[in-house]
Order: sequence, then C-alpha cells, then structure tokens
Amino acid sequence: MTAIVDTAVWNEWIACGWVGQIAAGASHVTTVLGQKIRITCVDENSYEIVALTDDQTAGRRLPAKARFCCIFTSLGDPTRDLPLIPEFEESDRKIGCCGGIGIRTSPYRIIENFIDMAHFSFVHTDLLGLSDKTEVLTYRTEHRADVDEIWAIDCMYVQPLRSKAVNDVEGGKRESHMTTRDYRIMSPFSVMLYRATDSDPTRSHAICVFVQPVSETECLAYMTFAYLVPGSSVSNLVDFQQAVFLQDRVILENQRPALLPLDPTYELPTKADASSIAFRRWLKRKNIRYGTYEKQAG
Amino acid sequence: MTIDSWIPIGLESQIQPASSNPVIVEGRSIAVWRGDDGPVSVWEDRCPHRGMPLSMGFVRGNTLHCIYHGWGYASDGHCTNIPAHPDLQPPKTICANSYPSRSRYGIVWTNFSEAQLSPLPDVGVEDGWTSIRSIYLSKSAEKASEDILKLNFGFAADTKTAGKNALSIQVGPDLELLLAIQPIDAAKTGVHVVAKGPAVATAAGRLKLARGLEHHRNKMEAS
Repeated sequence: MTAIVDTAVWNEWIACGWVGQIAAGASHVTTVLGQKIRITCVDENSYEIVALTDDQTAGRRLPAKARFCCIFTSLGDPTRDLPLIPEFEESDRKIGCCGGIGIRTSPYRIIENFIDMAHFSFVHTDLLGLSDKTEVLTYRTEHRADVDEIWAIDCMYVQPLRSKAVNDVEGGKRESHMTTRDYRIMSPFSVMLYRATDSDPTRSHAICVFVQPVSETECLAYMTFAYLVPGSSVSNLVDFQQAVFLQDRVILENQRPALLPLDPTYELPTKADASSIAFRRWLKRKNIRYGTYEKQAG
Repeated sequence: MTIDSWIPIGLESQIQPASSNPVIVEGRSIAVWRGDDGPVSVWEDRCPHRGMPLSMGFVRGNTLHCIYHGWGYASDGHCTNIPAHPDLQPPKTICANSYPSRSRYGIVWTNFSEAQLSPLPDVGVEDGWTSIRSIYLSKSAEKASEDILKLNFGFAADTKTAGKNALSIQVGPDLELLLAIQPIDAAKTGVHVVAKGPAVATAAGRLKLARGLEHHRNKMEAS
C-alpha cells in the first residue's frame, strides 16, 4: 500500500545519499517517500536525479544538490532552500559522513532520539552519559518563525570527559564535565546540534542527521559532522558516531508504534521532553500525517 | 469488546525473579515481569513515555525500569522514578497499563476485559500441581484444542473443559493433567501443562511426561 504523502512533506528537501557513495559516472537506485529514484553522479559534486516509473524507466527530472556531505532531492517544489550550515565550509574542521544507516522506524522517531539527552546515561553509558549523572536541566525551546525551525537552547548534560577506555587506562577515574549544546530542527527530516567546545567559546562542533524516509516506517539516516578537534582523525570520529548510532538503532527499531504519536496523552512527556513536545506540536501545526500515528486514531 | 475470560500466559515457574519477558496473547504484546521477590505482573508491553517495550527493561529490586530513559515502575504500575528529574515525584497519571495477574495451579492467568467477573478456571484444590512444560503449536487455539482432545495417552482419558482456555484430563488412575491454552494469534498457540498424581511424583516420572508431551506436540504439528 502506498501511503499518502502530505504536500508539506512532498515539497521538502530530502537526503537520498551521501557524497562519495556513488562513483563518478555511476548510478544508484533508491526510494524516497515510496518513490523510486535514480541518482547519477556526473562528477564529484554534481548529480542528476530522476524519478523512476513502475517499469523502471526514467520519468521526470528531480532537483539535486550536494551539500553537508549528503545528496538532496525533492519530489515536489521546495518552498525554501536547504538550511544554511556555514560550518561545513570552514577549512579547519574535520568534516565527514557516517554513511547511510538503515533504521526501520518513522523518520520523526530518529529526529526525536537525536534531540533527546535523557537517554544518554542509559543507552550510551560511558560514551555520552554516566549512569549516576542522569539529570536534564531546564532548557529553552523556541519556534523561529522567520526560518520555520525548532530550536532547543542551552541544553546541558554531564558527559564523560574521555572515552571509557581512556579513563580505565588512566586508573579507572571517570572524569566528567558539564557540556552545553543547542539543538536545531531544520525540517521534519533534518536536525543538528551545536556543541560548545572547551577551547574556543565562539565556535561549536556541528553534527547533523539527515533522514531519508524510504517509507513511513523505514529510513536511512546520514550523520555528518564538522568537528573542531585538531587531534582526531575523521575515521576515528566516524567510528565513534557509528558506535553511538548503533546503540540508538536497537532502541529505535523496537519503539511501538513505529509511527510517531502526536497525541500527548498517548505518550506522556516530562520536562526533559520540552524539545520533543515542541517538535510534535510543530508537525501537528503543519498538518503532517505521513509517518505519524494520529491518522490511525482518527 | 473484549471477552471476559481468564487467559493463561505461562507457567509461573518460567517467570524468573528479577526478569521481564515478552509474551503475545491474542495478538497483544505484553510484558510479564517480577521483581526480586515480588508477584508476577502483567502489563502492556509499552512504556507510556516513549513507546519502548517494557519487556526489554531491567529489574532492580521490585522496580521495573525502561531501557530507554530508565523510568522506574512499581509492581502496581505507577511510575516512581524519572532519572532525568531526580527530585521530581512523578505524577500519579504516569502509569504503565497493567492487566490483572492471578496464579492458580502454577499457571499465570490474565484477563483483558474491563469487567473481570468470570471466575478463574476451577479444577479443584489448588495444591499438589507440578509444572511440567509448555509446548507451542502452529495453529489456532480452537484447532489446538480439537487436536488435544484426540490425543491418545495410552489410557482411557476423561476430559473436562475448565473455562474457555483450559482442559483437565484424567489419564488412568495415576495422572491428572491440566492443559492451559494460550491463544497467541490466529496461527499460534501455547499450551502450558501442569500435572498431579503418583505418575509425576518423581523426577523420572515428570521427565517421561515432558518427553511424551514433546512427542504429542510433534504429532499435532504434523497433523
């Protein structure tokens, strides 16, 4: 059964691959919102994308952009450009992509998990959180009407200072520190965080997740980053992010229902979920039904 | 409208202390769990916070914690602890959706109806039953019951129904069986077997019966 896709969703820019995935001259077939598409890499940063008909012949030409290490398209007419993330243009950053990770759930569950700090101590113990430091302090959320984005500001959480392995080698001391970050939801399928750095108060790490909804409950997630860590290699950063992402995947694949419930009485939030509440309200205001649970109830 | 009947969900001896277990009954996913020393609880297998199965959770003392955010639930279903807000007393409205849980004859029973007026299955005194094993069949509960009625135990068998989901079978003079039938879905059924009588007084006797049930299961699967 093909799901009905809302206009707001149809007109979004959606990630459909990552830069480096397709060799120059080669093509790749994938699915976006139930629609098969073929991506052809013309050269390093130039792509051509067409919709495929049921008999696999090329249909209409779709827009194509390569940015933030990902390839983006839209099945409709985008009402705005891709978001501005100038950090990906800064030459002193470590810029990379973790590839496409398949996750069978609603795209919005992936976004919500990314903006959620309260699971760090339980799902990412000793990587992103400590089992005895679980508190989520009050943070602000806002809808920025001019760009139609949801932001969560001054989000603080106690995180391990270094990986568990390093701490164990240095005598098992679990050194930790309070970290601060802002979350930014640019579209129903794209999210990022700005994590404050210890070295320079004026600059932040930028870490993004772009979600390709293959269907309402089947996604590919592309995590890309622009880190300010002179000492680390891109491949170490990719390894770390993939380890974190695979821990999330076990959670995400098992949440029920897979579709995101928008009714706040069906899944009960607490104060730490302020960003999730803002995100669900925003989806509801946009009248988005694709990938949500509400339509089943109604 | 859910029918008011007690449905077996497993042998009580199978529910280990400090464990949470996924079970499917009539197509519903439930978490069957018990604390270190608490009673068996039967809940909807979904944390009311963000939809994580509670059967994937972890037990500390007599509290079940969701694996995702660590929310803790007491055996009455109430959320007692939200780690993101250590000083907050969780509101009473945050509660796991629980179903009644009753133990009788070494079998755990639940009932999904609002009314719960029907009595638990009654095959006489509660004491003296020994848990044997569960078997699983790839057929509906109705078909499984029909097949069980046709089984040849090598003795004249006197079979009685005990409510909608249980059969009591007197097999010769030395063995009484209670087969509690758990409808899993339209094509899967669990049968939880307890027994009493001299034939199961010894470990060897119980093992013989358990092997016999396995044999019957294989025959019923082939039929």
